[in-house]
Amino acid sequence: MQSIVSNIATHYTRSGKGRVIVLLHGWGDGSQSWQSFANKLASDYDVIVPDLPGFGGTEAPKEAWNVMRYAEFVRDLIHKIGVQPYAIIGHSNGGAIAVKGVGQGMFQAEKLILLASAGVRNPRANPGLQVIAKVGKVVAAPLPSKVRNKLRRKLYQKAGSDLLVAEHMQDTFKKIVRDDVRADAAYISTPTLLVYGDADTETPIEIAHELHSAIEGSRLLILPGVGHHVHSEAEDVALKTVREFLHA
Amino acid sequence: MLTIAVFFGGQSAEHDVSIITALTSVIMPLELTNKYRVIPVYIAKDGRWFVSEDLKNIAVYQHGELKRLVSRMKTTGVICANGLKLLVPSRVGRKAISVDIAFPAMHGTHGEDGELTGIFEMAGVPYVGCGVAASAIAMDKMLAKQVVTAAGLATPRALYFDGESVRSNSAVLAKQCQQLTYPLFVKPAHLGSSIGISRVADKKELVNALEVAAHYDDKIVVEEAVPNLIEVTLPIMGPSSAPQPALLEQPLTHAEDFFDFDTKYMHGGKKGKGGGKKMGIKGAQGYSKIPANLSKELYSKAEAAGVAAYKALGCDGIARIDMLIDSKAKKVYFNEANPLPGSLYAHNWAQVGVSKIDLVEALVGYALDRHYKRSKLATTFDTNFLTQF
Repeated sequence: MQSIVSNIATHYTRSGKGRVIVLLHGWGDGSQSWQSFANKLASDYDVIVPDLPGFGGTEAPKEAWNVMRYAEFVRDLIHKIGVQPYAIIGHSNGGAIAVKGVGQGMFQAEKLILLASAGVRNPRANPGLQVIAKVGKVVAAPLPSKVRNKLRRKLYQKAGSDLLVAEHMQDTFKKIVRDDVRADAAYISTPTLLVYGDADTETPIEIAHELHSAIEGSRLLILPGVGHHVHSEAEDVALKTVREFLHA
Repeated sequence: MLTIAVFFGGQSAEHDVSIITALTSVIMPLELTNKYRVIPVYIAKDGRWFVSEDLKNIAVYQHGELKRLVSRMKTTGVICANGLKLLVPSRVGRKAISVDIAFPAMHGTHGEDGELTGIFEMAGVPYVGCGVAASAIAMDKMLAKQVVTAAGLATPRALYFDGESVRSNSAVLAKQCQQLTYPLFVKPAHLGSSIGISRVADKKELVNALEVAAHYDDKIVVEEAVPNLIEVTLPIMGPSSAPQPALLEQPLTHAEDFFDFDTKYMHGGKKGKGGGKKMGIKGAQGYSKIPANLSKELYSKAEAAGVAAYKALGCDGIARIDMLIDSKAKKVYFNEANPLPGSLYAHNWAQVGVSKIDLVEALVGYALDRHYKRSKLATTFDTNFLTQF
């Protein structure tokens, strides 16, 4: 489905009947990353999955956005579709957007679920490697473009950066990673479930504990051996946990 | 050796598609002929023109390399006098490159709609493809419908609105559409690649679809869907007086579905994810059946309608005519025309024995023929009119 939200041509999917659940994807992903999870939830719920601006079938923002601007977009989307979400589920950067939106009261939900949510500046990010990536850019400049791009990718990956995951969104990415939503999390009174994998290197469990302690009364589940994409890597467990929390 | 300038990119929603067309279906085959010096003229999204051999390499357009390349390059200028000259930056100022033939590989606005062709006309340089008028008409879906209707061809019933009215009061316009029968298609009049097109089943969906279309265009077409639909498309080349059709092609989508941008360019066909053999031929725009699975009678009818539309619109060189068939009523409707089909529809031409090299050579030949014929027409008329004042 397409709709114009905040003057942005927006693509989203909607399936199922029941109480409304909005799923927010992470950086570099799109609504497709939720496909299997959303299809299963749609047996009991009305599931809305947008492609956030700059990803999938949704236009990129005309200027660089921060997490707040993305949260405003989600607010406008909910308003445009004319629904009152029962729950919001955010993965990675989608989780940070959900924390910002709910914490600031931009949109409401009866339940908030954060799967490997980002929003806390990566405590494991290695500033040394970040410097190497910057130096590497200069050193690699004379190399052929193919070799240079491969090298840059490896360096940014090593530095723990998703900067090159969506190159057309680099300016937005730089703003997003500067945002820390712990202060917003402290305002959340909505019942919240956090699910993280202990093998997650992108949003390590230190982030889980930070958000868990910031959101009063929240529940934290850590899945052993699971990486960053909790909802696809451990779909059955994640679905079971989410369903139980939604029914509670 | 003739110098051919290939124009691509552009300020269009189809900028990226144009790059693929230029690199894979125009520049590469032209160079393989070893007959031409090929100059790539890349028009950036902000309208600046760039010329560089590096722009022939697809890797330049990936991973942000293009941004870095153009940031280091000076723009190219143009002179339209006694032919077309490109003013390309050199170590000392700019050097002029005379263009013998212009080959636009542009899709969508500011390229496929006659605007670029207008520059070639003013310069008096031979160019490939449809002229200014045919391009402008074909790229306005409503105008094209009106022209082919006047030529006696059928098109689905339609209304059109200006974007401003849609933005200010889409609900009232949706009410006006009650004279049409749902389901309806809502389309931006000037965009290709199915961008901004929606299929709507009721008034609520129509209001949203009008808003989406008006996001992209200032003229919006609302038309009735054809029941029992078989979609076909027919690539045609040659002068308007003697069009040569390739094969009718049938996109492999659901009957209730439509051929959208995602299907065409992003996923290679909704049903096509499984594998090519079973699904037909994978072309520029997803999986298709070539030739279309039609009875002999219906095939002839659709082919004749396509050729008649090509002539009615005054197409010249190359175009693709899209048609909608009501398989029960055996009725063929004109849908729209594309003055420069994506990747020149080379996959379809290959089915009738026309290789990519044959195709570009034929198109260059048509361009030179047309230019030669036109050069014999009087374009000035010397009088003593001014001396009488």
